[in-house]
Amino acid sequence: MRLTVDGQSFDIDVDPDMPLLWALRDLVGKTGPKFGCGIAACGACTVHVDGQPVRSCSLPVGQVDGAVTTIEGIGTADRLHPVQQAWLEEQVAQCGYCQAGQIMSAVALLDEVADPSDADIDNAMGGNLCRCGTYPKIRSAIRKAAALKTAGL
Amino acid sequence: MKKLLIMLTPAAILFSAAPSATAQESQTSPSPTVGMAKGLSEWDKIYAVFSHPRCADCHVADDRPRWSGAHYGATFVHAFNVQRGTDGSGFGNPGLRCTTCHFSSNSKALHGPPGAEGWHLAPTEMAWFGKSSAEICAQIKDPARNGDRKLADIALHVRDDKLVAWGWAPGSDREPAPGSAEATYQAIENWMAAGSPCPMP
Repeated sequence: MRLTVDGQSFDIDVDPDMPLLWALRDLVGKTGPKFGCGIAACGACTVHVDGQPVRSCSLPVGQVDGAVTTIEGIGTADRLHPVQQAWLEEQVAQCGYCQAGQIMSAVALLDEVADPSDADIDNAMGGNLCRCGTYPKIRSAIRKAAALKTAGL
Repeated sequence: MKKLLIMLTPAAILFSAAPSATAQESQTSPSPTVGMAKGLSEWDKIYAVFSHPRCADCHVADDRPRWSGAHYGATFVHAFNVQRGTDGSGFGNPGLRCTTCHFSSNSKALHGPPGAEGWHLAPTEMAWFGKSSAEICAQIKDPARNGDRKLADIALHVRDDKLVAWGWAPGSDREPAPGSAEATYQAIENWMAAGSPCPMP
C-alpha cells in the first residue's frame, strides 16, 4: 500500500492490520512517534491523519485514509512549529517521552481553536498522559504557542 | 417473566397507549388486552437492548460517555476527559475527537479501544442512560426526544445503522446487547403493530 507521511509517499508491503505506529517506525523510518501503552490510552503515539489526531498504536494501517503527519513533519530545525518553539521556551519536557504526542494534540487543537481557554486545553489534552507531571508547563506552552501562531512567528 | 406479569396488571394496561390505527390494521382480530400484552412483551425486548450498556453508555445527558456493565464491574465516567464536544456534535473536542482513538473496527489488543464507523455520542435530547423502562418508552415515542423519527424510522435505524450494529459485536470480552439488530427491528415492528404501549411508570 501507499502511505503519505510528512509530505512524502512510501510504498510499503504490510499487513493491513499492522498498527500505523509500527509502519511508521519500522517501515517508514519515522521514530518521532513513540510507543507508550499500545491501547490508545496514553497519547505518546499521536499523529495526524488529514489534520486530525489519531493514536497510531491502535489505528490499523489499512484504515489510514489520508495524509499522515508526524512530529517530524510539522516544522524544521530552522523553522520550528509555534508549538515546538513554545515547548522550548517554556522548557516543558522533563523526560520528554510523551512530548511528541502532546505536541501533536496541541497542534491539532490550535488548528481549530486559535485562542484556546484553559478549558479548551484541558479538553484537548486529557488523553495525553505525562508521568513527569509537566501539565502546568504544557498548558503554559500551548497558550504561548497560540500567541506565537497568531502573531505569525 | 415476573417483570412481564407485573406489567400486565390492569393498571399497567390502563396506562398504556391505546392501539394505534397501524395496530388495528395489521392484526386480524386480537382483543385489545391481548394486543396490549403482546406490545408490552415486545417493549420489554426493546428496553433490554436500549438500556444495555453497549447502547446506553453513549446516550448520556451530561456530555460524558460512561463505561458500565458487567465488563467494567461498575459505572465509570469515560476516562481522558472525553466529552461530547463544545460544539454539541457528539464527536468530541478539538484535539480529542472520539475518532482519535475509536476507529472503524474493534482493537484486537487486550483493553484496546472498541470501534465502529462514525463513533460518537447520541444527541443530548436522546439521552436515556439510567432512565426507567417507562421513561425510555415515552421518550422513544416523542419526536422531540428521539431524533425526530417516526417509530418505523427508529426500527430501521436499529436494523441498519453501523454504529448501532456495534452493540451486538462489541469485541473483546464486552457483553453484547441482547438478541440481534434484526430481532430488535422485528420487536419494534411488533410493538408498533400492537399499538406501541408503554409500561406504567
